[in-house]
Amino acid sequence: MSKTVLIRLIHVAMKTEASPEYRVLSQTESLCPVCLEKIPAFRVTDGCDVYLEKHCESHGKFSAVIWRKDPSFEKWVKPKVPVQPPVCYSEITKGCPFDCGLCVLHRQITCTALLEITQRCNLNCKYCFASSEKSAVSDPDIKTIEFWFKRVKEAAPSSNIQLSGGEPSLRDDLSQIVEIGRQAGFGFIQLNTNGLRLAEEEDYAARLKEAGLASVFFQFDGLSDKTYLALRGQKLLAKKLLAIERCAKAGIGVVLVPMIVPGINVHEIGSILEFALKEYPGVRGIHFQPVSYFGRHPENIDNNNRITIPEIITALETQSNGMVRASDFRPPGCENALCSFNGKFLVMSGGHLKPLISENSSCCNKPIKADIGARQSITSVARQWSGIRAQRSGIGDQVDGCHGSERVGQKKEEEICDMDFDGFLDFVLTRSFSISGMAFQDIWNLDLERLKDCCIHTVSNDGRLIPFCAYNLTDSQNIPIYRGR
Amino acid sequence: MKNNYASPEDLRWKCYKCNIFLSVGPATLIYMGNKIKAQLPVCPQCGFVFISEELALGKMAEVEQILEDK
Repeated sequence: MSKTVLIRLIHVAMKTEASPEYRVLSQTESLCPVCLEKIPAFRVTDGCDVYLEKHCESHGKFSAVIWRKDPSFEKWVKPKVPVQPPVCYSEITKGCPFDCGLCVLHRQITCTALLEITQRCNLNCKYCFASSEKSAVSDPDIKTIEFWFKRVKEAAPSSNIQLSGGEPSLRDDLSQIVEIGRQAGFGFIQLNTNGLRLAEEEDYAARLKEAGLASVFFQFDGLSDKTYLALRGQKLLAKKLLAIERCAKAGIGVVLVPMIVPGINVHEIGSILEFALKEYPGVRGIHFQPVSYFGRHPENIDNNNRITIPEIITALETQSNGMVRASDFRPPGCENALCSFNGKFLVMSGGHLKPLISENSSCCNKPIKADIGARQSITSVARQWSGIRAQRSGIGDQVDGCHGSERVGQKKEEEICDMDFDGFLDFVLTRSFSISGMAFQDIWNLDLERLKDCCIHTVSNDGRLIPFCAYNLTDSQNIPIYRGR
Repeated sequence: MKNNYASPEDLRWKCYKCNIFLSVGPATLIYMGNKIKAQLPVCPQCGFVFISEELALGKMAEVEQILEDK
């Protein structure tokens, strides 16, 4: 890490502390970005924004913004009763986060297991948590991947699977890997991809669909080539559009995944939503990722280059001219409340969104058992992010094979309030749209409470389950603590 | 589309309070801001609605899950 960055961080910390409204909200633990020593960390406010502050005796004070303005940080809660993972592949020796595997102190089960089936990539993005590049280590063989599936099956049999990398589509045996996962008993397999091969090969999406792929987690940062040049180093928009078209045609659910970076594409949040609705039902949802500073990234880590969950929620409301509202979004039932947001909507016949759950209703203020939240999330993600055709061959059997979107879509909006059970299920299964987002943690804003609540786990080379943010964590010199080790 | 969720077995129940057999009638169920209308076994006198185990653990649970999850 450069000295300039360190000075900026210290400067921000001092500014926060000088505020008359400065107060400590709560305490957690974190790591020193330089020496990785475990140190206390404090969630503090200057009366407006919230920061994670920590002090290392050797390397000074660090402050990273974690929440700006509304929805209120203090009201953004979803308490859970922690559960120990039923199978723990590692023992505690050094303590969190150095014994991930998971260990008995973890507080959530696996909802999604990530298998990194290659480290190679056909892009060289300026931001990449995996630091992937064209020439990388050789790919794991099929036997290794079978072993990974087996380990996930033993520890988290009902979890969803995401095939990730690198760029997984660089492997010519990707269809085979999807089939292996399906045969291992995993019902929902998603591909994390930049989409280039889906655009370049006309029948590629259909082949993956036939192998059992349900969904693509589709890198989609905006609707201008300026954005792709800035973040991915190439003009990619035309290929992205073609890939989406091909996935939709094949019946693979598309989830647009924009990485949001201040000064680059924050202004595109509304147009991404508008585009997604135009491409509905091929596009099943959007999942925003505020930029994080791990892996490969530009040397500009200061709070001005961060965007927080409430800012994305607010941008969704303002840039959609109020079609979606901040009050439509809720903290998650699975991971830690500070890690994500989600909103469930119905696409109405006019092409606009209506929240599925009314603003004032809530079933969820009481603490729930963490694994119940995880199981709900597993089902919800599989239902929402799969291609509509895939759903109709399963859940859709209950709607008598009728064409809900054509039939029900012609109804007046208020009529959805008068549906019976079948009509409601039909409507929701065929017209639902999700908007969500997840804020990953880097070494600067790492909060070990959040890490212990993590439900998205990357499978390590030796078959352990490592919380995503721990797996990708890099220190101030960009040296990983898990990846590649 | 099925709107009648009352089975013949359901109509063999009597309302405990009114001591008369249930009959099929309109009922409105509201959960988390969503309204569902269905024909269900109801007491024709006091309006008490009977939800069968099959419905409670079936479609009603499915609707609940969709609204609650994530």
